[in-house]
Amino acid sequence: MLVKDYMTRHPVMVEPTMSIVEAQRIMAETKVRHLPVVETGKRLVGLVTRQTLRIPPTELASLNVWEITRFLSNLKLQDVMVKRENVIVTEPQVALEAAAQIMIKNKIGALPVLEDGVVVGIITEIDMMAQLTELLGGNVPGVRATVRMPNRKGELVKLTGAISEQGWGIYASGGVPTPKDPDHWDCVIKVRNVPREDLLAVIEGIEGQEVIDIR
Amino acid sequence: MTSTEHKHAPILKVANAAISYETRYGDVEAVRDVSFDVHRAQTFGVVGESGCGKSTVAFGIVDFLGPNGKIVGGSIKFQGQELVGRSQNELRKLRGDQISMVYQDPMQALNPSVTIGDQLAEVLTVHRGIPKAEAWEKSIKMLDRVYMPDSANVMTRYPHQISGGQQQRVVIAMALLNNPALLIMDEPTTALDVTVEAVVLDLIEDLKRDFDTAIVYITHDLGVVARVCNYVGVMYAGEMVEVGSVESIYGKPMHPYTQGLMRCVPKLGATKESSILYPIRGRVPAPKDRPKGACIFAPRCDYATERCLNGKPQLRELESGHRARCFHVETIDASTWEPPEGLVPEITPVGEEDGKEPIIQVRDLKTYYEQESKSLLSLVGAGEKLYVKAVDDVSLQVPPGKTLGIVGESGCGKSTLAKTIIGLETPRDGEAHFLGFDLTLPVSKRDVELIEELQMVFQNPDSTMNPSYSVGHQIGRPLRRFSAVPGNQVRDEVIRLLNAVRLDGSYYNRLPRQLSGGEKQRVGIARAFASRPELVLCDEPVSALDVSVQAAVLNLLMEIQHEYGTTMMFIAHDLSVVRFFSDYVAVMYLGHIVEIGPAEAIYAPPYQPYTEALLSAVPIPDPRAAQKHIRLHGTVPSALNPPSGCPFHTRCPRRESLPDGGKICEEEVPPWQYNTEDHRIFCHIPLEELRKLDPVVTTD
Repeated sequence: MLVKDYMTRHPVMVEPTMSIVEAQRIMAETKVRHLPVVETGKRLVGLVTRQTLRIPPTELASLNVWEITRFLSNLKLQDVMVKRENVIVTEPQVALEAAAQIMIKNKIGALPVLEDGVVVGIITEIDMMAQLTELLGGNVPGVRATVRMPNRKGELVKLTGAISEQGWGIYASGGVPTPKDPDHWDCVIKVRNVPREDLLAVIEGIEGQEVIDIR
Repeated sequence: MTSTEHKHAPILKVANAAISYETRYGDVEAVRDVSFDVHRAQTFGVVGESGCGKSTVAFGIVDFLGPNGKIVGGSIKFQGQELVGRSQNELRKLRGDQISMVYQDPMQALNPSVTIGDQLAEVLTVHRGIPKAEAWEKSIKMLDRVYMPDSANVMTRYPHQISGGQQQRVVIAMALLNNPALLIMDEPTTALDVTVEAVVLDLIEDLKRDFDTAIVYITHDLGVVARVCNYVGVMYAGEMVEVGSVESIYGKPMHPYTQGLMRCVPKLGATKESSILYPIRGRVPAPKDRPKGACIFAPRCDYATERCLNGKPQLRELESGHRARCFHVETIDASTWEPPEGLVPEITPVGEEDGKEPIIQVRDLKTYYEQESKSLLSLVGAGEKLYVKAVDDVSLQVPPGKTLGIVGESGCGKSTLAKTIIGLETPRDGEAHFLGFDLTLPVSKRDVELIEELQMVFQNPDSTMNPSYSVGHQIGRPLRRFSAVPGNQVRDEVIRLLNAVRLDGSYYNRLPRQLSGGEKQRVGIARAFASRPELVLCDEPVSALDVSVQAAVLNLLMEIQHEYGTTMMFIAHDLSVVRFFSDYVAVMYLGHIVEIGPAEAIYAPPYQPYTEALLSAVPIPDPRAAQKHIRLHGTVPSALNPPSGCPFHTRCPRRESLPDGGKICEEEVPPWQYNTEDHRIFCHIPLEELRKLDPVVTTD
């Protein structure tokens, strides 16, 4: 699970001399929210987001109707973009969760992915969410069970052991510490081609573990 | 990433594009109303016959149309940005950074006077400003990525020092160095041998997956499309007549033209009886003669009605993602299609006449080309003589009225064998007899009667016809030369021959340049058959022709053969065509015949390992057909210094099955093993083992 496997390769890129009107049109057309701004050789020089295209009304307040048109048509991306030194980027070989942490810490929605200063892709919060869905098997039918187990070694093995004993396979799984309860751990598993009741009976047979949700 | 597919907008979006060329007849619309999308990691195939505007579409995307071409309508959007109307400067930047192209002939894309390393590194130093040494390293890595053997060494060579398949890999590597979002490939494998083509197609598939590149793949070959493409657009006379996924187009072609194309292509998996070819009647109209305000295919369509002539159908969606430009799709049922009368000649199979003496018999024929060694001694004539063993120990025979197909990669000696038989090369050793004549004599010493009985149809009709003589004169020449008919009847005989090849008498006074490729080849056939020869050698007679024309010419050849009872030797690199056409097949490798026998026997186990590899490389125009995946590595060794023992041992994938890793193959010349009386295989592997092999192609 590295950035290179989940990023979007060949992102839509724009040039610093493009007008903001054109950039806005491209965003709408391609349904993209972040445009890396590049110069020759796909070298990153900035980033344009919907927010950067929003011009504060104070800047326009002093202009009359005729001047506004000219002002807007003369405005280039290089005037409004986030400049290279302020763009937070990542690299293809970075772990997915490390990239996610950068995004959380800086509260941003996308990271251009650079290799030797050249844009090779972009990874966004949507890519992350797509992976979360995949991680928990959200896009396949099956029974999804959340099991609460004591936070100690050997508990997960009990669960997987009991399921594989039945000849079933775990399609997807994920675990998180139980919210506000450091002594427990919540584990979500997805099992395919098995009746809900049978799975419930098997997990309930495990000592010390409890099914808190099954659907 | 199943659930998240298609969340992105397409990389390339072509909508209602129209492209015109300025000519002296005014603006000619070469392409009109073409629309398609290409997404990341998808290959969109554009397929059609020549003159349908496939390449114009490709050039239009990046506006490489030349000074007289222009986009006159519609829009072409790359990553949301309009390309139509951009300045050449802006486009150049885009082409360098984000769009790459690969053309048919790799030698035209490579500079012959600059080393491959310099050409590759230049892409990075110019476009990205990477220092030379680093660019060099990256280029080597990219060559490895396209499976170039000995990449570091190849960097220092010049383009002419590597083979055609390797050249094409260099061009693909060069195209990928900048990690383009869009790759446009115009017939990238057409000039390559079938085994090399198979490797390059595999490579394209791998690269598409690894680099997420969107590919526009232009080809005339329906088999190649089935192998590499996800979506297909079928073009006819400048319009896209059908668009859909590969599975739906091949599974259920909707437009009559697509259905016709499918019926033109010889299929490898099918039996000979079921593989009748049905050509599409008529021909593709020239851009200025295209019907206006009517269905463009109507003049050639079997289903055309009044409505088709009075209105132009729109491309409409018939099933999800599958669109066709036809009024009558709902009522057309391709399975009930009957060929119109006269389209396909009725050929009753010739009864087996046992005991008939072979008409031509060749035994241990050797044709060598002498080459001076590079040593100084050779300057004074004392150096060791080297020989290119183009044909080595070839034995074959053909019964009268039958066809022997000869297949093999380029450089295997097919054409030299034909030239030796026709007398253009003199064999060094061996015997060849034909109707009591000795064929080892050069043509200048042969009897006129022998020349009369032995004629040839050439690959390229353009270069074998005198451009300044009329068609009638050229067909009449052998008639006069051999006094086949009295002098005052030559004209009538020529017209009769023209009619026999489905051309009317008005062609008598035409010049070659006034004919289409298919018509020229028909004239070539008429000329070859003028003297009523007993044996006709056909050297790749249809490989330069479009599929629908190819089908017509093949049918014609078969019909004429049937009528005159002529024996034929048919040289081709296309195994499906050979299968369709031949009674017997000989497979050649490096001057040797490695397998020979009746056509059905060649295409079923037991196989000689080389035959097996050839069959598994043939692109099959059916995405559902299962085909074994055998790829030959390396190139055909030099005939100047052929491998010892079995000539194929350096590339043989089955060699390991013999004890000691096939040591015997290196040391001893393999024996001829007889599967049946007339099917023999040149291999060390016992027949029992070869019989156990699975068939290469299985359809359902």
